[in-house]
Amino acid sequence: MCNTAEVIIVGSGVIGCAAAYYLAKQGVSVLVLERDQSIGNGGSSRNGGGVRQSGRDPRELPLAMYAVEHMWPKLSEELEIDVEYHKQGNLRLGKTERHMEILQGLTERAAACGLDVHMIDGAEVRKINPYLSDEVIGASWCATDGHANPLLTTLGYYRKARALGVRFCTEEEVVAIQKIRGKARRIITAKAVYEGETIIVAAGYESRAIASTVGIDIPMRKELIEALVTEAEPKMFAQMLGTADADFYGHQTDHGSFVFGGASGMESVNKDNGNMAVSSITAPCICRGIMKYIPKLADAKIVRTWAGYEDLCIDGVPVISSVEEVPGLILACAFTGHGFGISPVVGKLLSQMALGEETFLDIREFRYDRFQAAI
Amino acid sequence: MKRYDLIVVGAGPSGLSAAIEGAKRGLQVVVFDENEKPGGQLFKQIHKFFGSKEHKAKIRGFVIGEQLLKEASELGVKVVLNATVTGLYMDKELVVKIADTIYHYKGDAILIATGAAENMVTFEGWTLPGVIGAGAAQTMMNLHGVKPGNRILMLGSGNVGLVVSFQLLQCGCEVAALVDAAPRVGGYGVHAAKVARCGVPFYLSHTIVKAEGEECVTGVTIAEVDKKFQFIPGTEKHFDVDTICLAVGLSPMSQLLKIAGCEMEDNPKRGGQVPICNEYGETSIKGIFVAGDVSGVEEASSAMIEGRIAGIAAAQYLGYIGIEELEEKFEENKAALEGLRQGMFAPENRGKLIERTEEGIPVSMNLLTKGYIAEDEIERYPGVTHRAGIHPVMECSQNIPCNPCQDACPRHCIQIGSHITSLPVVDESAQCVGCGLCVAACSGQAIFLVQEDYEPGYGTVTIPYEFLPLPQKGEKGYGLDRSGQRVCEAQVMEVKTAKTFDHTNLLTIRVPVDMVGKARFYRKIF
Amino acid sequence: MQHINDRAIAPGTFIPEPDDDRIICRCEEVTKGEIRRAVHEGMYTITEIRRYLRTGMGLCQGQTCARLVKGIVAKELGISPAELIPATSRAPMRPVEMKVLAKEEGRHV
Repeated sequence: MCNTAEVIIVGSGVIGCAAAYYLAKQGVSVLVLERDQSIGNGGSSRNGGGVRQSGRDPRELPLAMYAVEHMWPKLSEELEIDVEYHKQGNLRLGKTERHMEILQGLTERAAACGLDVHMIDGAEVRKINPYLSDEVIGASWCATDGHANPLLTTLGYYRKARALGVRFCTEEEVVAIQKIRGKARRIITAKAVYEGETIIVAAGYESRAIASTVGIDIPMRKELIEALVTEAEPKMFAQMLGTADADFYGHQTDHGSFVFGGASGMESVNKDNGNMAVSSITAPCICRGIMKYIPKLADAKIVRTWAGYEDLCIDGVPVISSVEEVPGLILACAFTGHGFGISPVVGKLLSQMALGEETFLDIREFRYDRFQAAI
Repeated sequence: MKRYDLIVVGAGPSGLSAAIEGAKRGLQVVVFDENEKPGGQLFKQIHKFFGSKEHKAKIRGFVIGEQLLKEASELGVKVVLNATVTGLYMDKELVVKIADTIYHYKGDAILIATGAAENMVTFEGWTLPGVIGAGAAQTMMNLHGVKPGNRILMLGSGNVGLVVSFQLLQCGCEVAALVDAAPRVGGYGVHAAKVARCGVPFYLSHTIVKAEGEECVTGVTIAEVDKKFQFIPGTEKHFDVDTICLAVGLSPMSQLLKIAGCEMEDNPKRGGQVPICNEYGETSIKGIFVAGDVSGVEEASSAMIEGRIAGIAAAQYLGYIGIEELEEKFEENKAALEGLRQGMFAPENRGKLIERTEEGIPVSMNLLTKGYIAEDEIERYPGVTHRAGIHPVMECSQNIPCNPCQDACPRHCIQIGSHITSLPVVDESAQCVGCGLCVAACSGQAIFLVQEDYEPGYGTVTIPYEFLPLPQKGEKGYGLDRSGQRVCEAQVMEVKTAKTFDHTNLLTIRVPVDMVGKARFYRKIF
Repeated sequence: MQHINDRAIAPGTFIPEPDDDRIICRCEEVTKGEIRRAVHEGMYTITEIRRYLRTGMGLCQGQTCARLVKGIVAKELGISPAELIPATSRAPMRPVEMKVLAKEEGRHV
């Protein structure tokens, strides 16, 4: 099997798989290299499945709005797999006046960008979701937000891309990108050498080390965060939930189980044993958070907890950018924990960038060289 | 955070043994077990153990469990029951669920002794209620006093399948058939013989085609398989049963070790995913030890020794003893472990067809395919002799590391010698007095006392009998041969029970003289 | 293992088998046929199968089906089951009610 392709994508997360799919659809030959044994083993299989527009940075909002309006509703049909997309709103909950102020600020910024999001009081909140406790005094409500199944979305893109002839190679850890005659072209892995006309690096936090082999640094750090899932429960509500305090977020899946993410407050210093180990204190903390908002879930059984790395960009929005000083290199990383909801649109944008086409959305805000010192 | 020198997860044979050895050397030890009763599998094991004295041979499993618990508590070991360890985190932190609360503990050393879980096989209808694991059946019978079913088919002829079949018979179930896809019985021949002489038919090279029933199991169809384990059409056999018991092996419950980040390997010889560990049972993470089935599926006797080694190693790791003591004790225990791992059933012989015993005697093929030694095979074995007067007949035909019979005889009629796997031999110069201690001492219930010249035309056979109600002296019934077929009328001459027999009753039946070599079980006329 | 890493190498065509409707994962009611088909759709690892079909994601966490699923996937890929890395084990070892997990003692370091 030959080790060349028009486009080589490093990383088989949902971004890499989506880009591979949209490129293959255009007839481009694509090779995807994945460090792990399994496809999409990073954040793509560990996130809470939110497909939100509200709460996003205004720079990112157009991508999210485009995805929600034009891509998510048709994705199951397109990928021929039920990605369990539900566009039934997002409630960002507040319990204190301070929370309400935070929510008000987020809401105003998003509304200014044209998103239909507004503040509602406690009674209205409970009309939308009767399971929420009286401690909730209000929320921001975005009716067009929702959630989907990240596992099936990632594997759905993979399956479809593979069926279109994309070659996926797992356990191929990229050691370096090499420039050949001034162009990023060669990829050295621990086992082999690959060559492509264009290289897209979509490898989460590891993108930083990979890009550094051609002298590019992305100012990001990684943080180990946790999530948990309950056993299947009778259907309770369809909205995505989040809080102003960011103590938990989550939704009920089609399966009936609740997937919740959350924080203990120790995330920035969490350590790891190399296996994305969970800490002993986070899941209990998430549970305490959830029970304050949804008391009825107190009896739900937790069946699993897990952890995953976020690739946090210094300014909170991703890098989605061609690197002119390294021709042939495209970066898509530092998604800062909100990459899943915009993955279809990012995949499509990357396919256009790789083909040298003009992108259908303005992506200048995501340039790799936008970062500057404070003074 | 509350910290112990040694936290043991699992109060089974290996966990308790480790806790004892640790506590003996001054360690502060706590044992957590998620069950309401301690002892792991030991408290389900009502049969007598094999081995030698150091392996607690001829003692019943649950008694060994009681002994271990008593010793542990005398040494100050805290055994916490109904305590589920939900996770093993970094820095050797354990999270334990006790009642409605989560507790955090740290151990300077941790021993994971969580044992193994039962494997399943699938066939049409395998999810019907009534298809259960053999271990589950054992739990129902021996821990909860519940009869698992009335008419049962057992799949699996390893020791678990054989031992549980016998226990099912003891608790009053009918065992319709014992089935195994393998061409030969996998467990000890003596266990098979116990089951076969009760009349249970063995179907080797057979497996389950389907479980039948709408709401629950009402029947089962089995069929013969070829060498590639494909069904041979036309060989189907149907049984009306209400329960199907599966004894198809165990898998280590090593999840906690994986969560902790210990290096693991997939080792089919050890039963599946096991941690990579050194000779003391220490995993790739310093201070985390393993012992028993979780590190490789074996049985309770070896689990106890592994537990002892790991407990002593933990003591050394924590500086309570020197390396010399560890090395010395390790050598002793290793010798005991090797003692168990020899003979025909040694780990290296797993799956192999052994055609001759160590003495060069051909192995009974009938035993391996039907569960009992055929008439024309039995005379080969050195324990089977004929002489005037009462004398022992030892139908022990496989090299198993086991020797309680040798010590049981006060007259030294029985010899095994220093090589523990040797077949027992009758010393012709010693005089048997018919005390029956050997009959009760044989964990395999393979020793019978025979008197061919009891009275004109009649002889007697004394058989080990572990069924209730006990037959009454004078009662009349039938003599059953090794295959469980009625071969003659029999009268109960004597029923002996004694404390030293430890619930193995000696039933002496009078049978026609030509039947003393055949009758090996008794059943009352109803 | 090289051949399960290159996802362009297909394990042949999917041929239906008479027992494809047999339930393998009881908790999530996944059949043998679904597992076999998933392999042909590119799911070559136990982790991918699990994420794709939910095998072993139910209350028993794969205690019963892990070995069975492994056997089916390995057979379909034409490799030994030992070559397939089992799914990750995750705490809690047994399902725990949220209110119990929330109630901690002795958690301070």
